[in-house]
Amino acid sequence: MSEPDPTLNNADLARAQLREAMAQLASGDRGALERIYQATSAKLFGICLRILGDRGEAEDALQDVYVSLWQRAKNYDPERGSPISWLAVFARNRAVDRLRKGKVRSGAVAVDEAAGIPDRRPLADAVLESSERSARVHHCIGTLEERQQDAIRTAFFEGTTYAELAEKRGVPLGTMKSWVRRGLARLKRCLEE
Amino acid sequence: MTEPELPEREVLAAEYVLGLLDAEARLNARGLMASDAAFAASVAYWEDRLAPLLGAIPPAAPGSDVWERIQAALDQNDLADEPVIEVLALRRRVRQWKIATGFAAAAAVVLAFLALPATRNPGPDALPAQQIATADPLVASIPIGDTPLRLGVTYLPDREEMLVSASGLTADGVHDHELWLVTPGEDAKSLGVVVPGEERRMSVDEALAQRIEAGAELVLTREPLGGAVPGTDAGPMVASGKLQAART
Repeated sequence: MSEPDPTLNNADLARAQLREAMAQLASGDRGALERIYQATSAKLFGICLRILGDRGEAEDALQDVYVSLWQRAKNYDPERGSPISWLAVFARNRAVDRLRKGKVRSGAVAVDEAAGIPDRRPLADAVLESSERSARVHHCIGTLEERQQDAIRTAFFEGTTYAELAEKRGVPLGTMKSWVRRGLARLKRCLEE
Repeated sequence: MTEPELPEREVLAAEYVLGLLDAEARLNARGLMASDAAFAASVAYWEDRLAPLLGAIPPAAPGSDVWERIQAALDQNDLADEPVIEVLALRRRVRQWKIATGFAAAAAVVLAFLALPATRNPGPDALPAQQIATADPLVASIPIGDTPLRLGVTYLPDREEMLVSASGLTADGVHDHELWLVTPGEDAKSLGVVVPGEERRMSVDEALAQRIEAGAELVLTREPLGGAVPGTDAGPMVASGKLQAART
C-alpha cells in the first residue's frame, strides 16, 4: 500500500474508501459490508429516524437498507456519482416506503432523538456536504417563496404526502399541489442556471 | 410571479422523489421507472440534485444489535439463495480477460460475472492414453472468494489425470461448480464438474492435455446442477488460478 496522498482531504479519502468498499461488496465481500456499515450507519440511521420518527422502525429500516444493499450491490454503478449520496437516497427511499406501508404514523418526528453523536461525526457527512451541488440546491431552495420552501422541505425531510401537507397547513389539497408544482418549476429553472 | 409548470411526467418524478405521493401513486411511479427510461432519468435527476439536502440531517447511533441482525438476515439469505453478484465496472474489466495474457487481476474479479463461451469436454471415455513419463505434476491452489478455503488441483501429465480436491466447497443442492481451462484466444474448455467436499480424479483428453502446461489458467464457475448446458454461456466465476510446476 502506498502512503495516502497528503493533498487528499478527509472527505476525499472517505469517498475513495467508500467507493473501494462498494466495489469489494459487489464481489461478495462481507468485510466490505461491515466497513460500509461502520462508515455510514450513523448517517443513514439519522435519515431513517428523521423520516420515521421512531427508533424501532428506523432500526428495522436500517437493517432493510444494508440487507438490500448486499443483495443488490450490482445496482450501484460506480460511474454514477458518490456512493454516500447514493446510499443516503437509498436509505431515505426505504424509510419512505416503510412510512407508506402504514406501519408508522407520520408526523411523529422525534427530531431531538436524532440530535447526533457529538464526538464522532462520520466522515460521510462531510462528503455529502462538500459538493458544489449541495451549495446549488440550498441556494435554489432559498429563492422559493416561503410557503413553497416549507412544503418542499417538509415533504423531503418527513416524507409527508400532499394530503397530509394540505391538512397540516390548513389549505385545500389543490392549493397545496399548486404551491409545490410552481415551486418545483422554479427550483428546476434555478438548478439549470 | 407565475412559473410555467413542468411537464406532467417530470412533476410526477419530482413528487415521487420528495415523497409527496401516497402509497398507491408511489407504487405506480415505481412501475413507471421500470418501464419508462425517460421517467427513470427524471427521477435520477431529482434524486441527485436533492441528495445534498440529506447532509443537513444529523447522524444518530443505531442500537448495537442492528449489525448482528443484519448478519443474521444475510446468513439466512445465503442459505436460501446464494446471491448472484455483479458490478458493471468489474464486468467490463472481466470481459477483457481474453485479450489479456496474464489474468493478473484474477483475485480482484473473483465472483464477478464472466461470460465464458462453453465448449464441452467430449468426456472421459474418448481418450487414448499417451505417456509423457518424464513430465512433472502441475499444481494449483485456488482461493475461493475471500474465504480461507482453497480448491486444490493437481495435474499428472503422465496419466492425463487431474486430481481436484474440493473439500472447501459445500453443496447447496441447487448449483454445481465446474472447472474450466482457459487458453488465450480460445473458448474455455470444460474440465468437468467438481464434487463439493470430495477429492475427485478427472480424466483429461489428449487434445486438452496438450494445452495444459505451467501457467495454464483455471477458472471455477457456478452452474446449474449437472454443469453448464452445452451451447450456453458458463455461469458466474467463483474462483480462478494458475497451474504451476510442483515443487517436490
